Amino acid sequence: MQPKVMTHPAMDLMARETRWQLGCVPHALGGIAVEPGYRIIAEGQFLLRCESGYGYHYVPGIGITVERPAGGDPAEEALWLNGSVYAAVACLNGLYPLHASAVAFQGAVYAFTGPSGAGKSTLVTGLGQRGFPLFCDDTLLLDLSDPTQAIALPGHKRLKLTDHALALTGTSRQEPVGADTGKSYVEPPGGVIGEPLPLACLIFLEERPTPAWEAIAGAERFARLADDHYTQALYGEAQRPDLAGLFRLRARLAQQVAMARLIRPLSPQGFAASLDLAEWQLRSQNKEQVA
Amino acid sequence: MKGVLTKAQERFSETAIDDEIVVMNLDTGDFFSLEGTARAAWLLIDGTRDLAAIITALAEQFGAPGDVVAADVELFVGELGRAGLVVSG
Repeated sequence: MQPKVMTHPAMDLMARETRWQLGCVPHALGGIAVEPGYRIIAEGQFLLRCESGYGYHYVPGIGITVERPAGGDPAEEALWLNGSVYAAVACLNGLYPLHASAVAFQGAVYAFTGPSGAGKSTLVTGLGQRGFPLFCDDTLLLDLSDPTQAIALPGHKRLKLTDHALALTGTSRQEPVGADTGKSYVEPPGGVIGEPLPLACLIFLEERPTPAWEAIAGAERFARLADDHYTQALYGEAQRPDLAGLFRLRARLAQQVAMARLIRPLSPQGFAASLDLAEWQLRSQNKEQVA
Repeated sequence: MKGVLTKAQERFSETAIDDEIVVMNLDTGDFFSLEGTARAAWLLIDGTRDLAAIITALAEQFGAPGDVVAADVELFVGELGRAGLVVSG
């Protein structure tokens, strides 16, 4: 008798809803024309038309239709599919996105967030070299169906690094990410995690001369959750929360998830110091709380 | 503001995070945090006290002279009133 494989409803849902097939996508949704280079969420669906000719149309219960132009770049196709389209599908199915790269340690997720270029992917790569498996890169999805905890879903299992980050971490590049991103894929040096785990801490990356790790307390934890990343916009368009609903969501996360800031100068020495600090904090979680 | 002070519940959402209370004005989306005496004053606005009673209670709670407390509380409650978050009656 085969053992029953335990799965998580949100992961099953994403696996189901991100099935894709080649086809033609519409040029309008909800009566609104979508020009190349634009996207829309309407009528519970998502439509993205790229300037390259790629198109992606998601319909709940059916999956994703990918329109592939003649001579389409497979790297670009995968980039959109695993990025914006993936995030849109998640948001339309009630999952909450954070702009973060994360590692796992002792059954919990530690997510590093900051604006693009802050060094999230670089940091989790460095932590991977110190034994922390990758949980996700760039977008962290939360399943909030359990009111008592925020469950993070594991993301795509590859890192995307710039040439500078490759040099800083000493990792080997694989194929280019494509679409002129200037990044290359990298195998996570610490392995990957494939199961959902509770989100333990959200760490904000900041640049200042002196490395430090500081807990974030009080109302700042609420304020920090306001983010202008495109995934937040997708969530807003998909779920259309009113202000009260958005407040409740952020209040819940502020209360349930510890937060801290990791401060370091953007230099090779600063990178090493930030790894030391992050590793020490994560490994000491058994003994005391971060925040 | 004269008379018993009451929060206009439909105009805001609030949550406690550590020792602070975060209040969001649902009309504007503006939010602010309350700590210390502001937090204590907010908690005392419960539909049973007027401004004078709140000032007296805070003065006792913080061991401060009433006239010192009064200036800050009047300013704070006035701001809440102008924001439509507190009404008097």
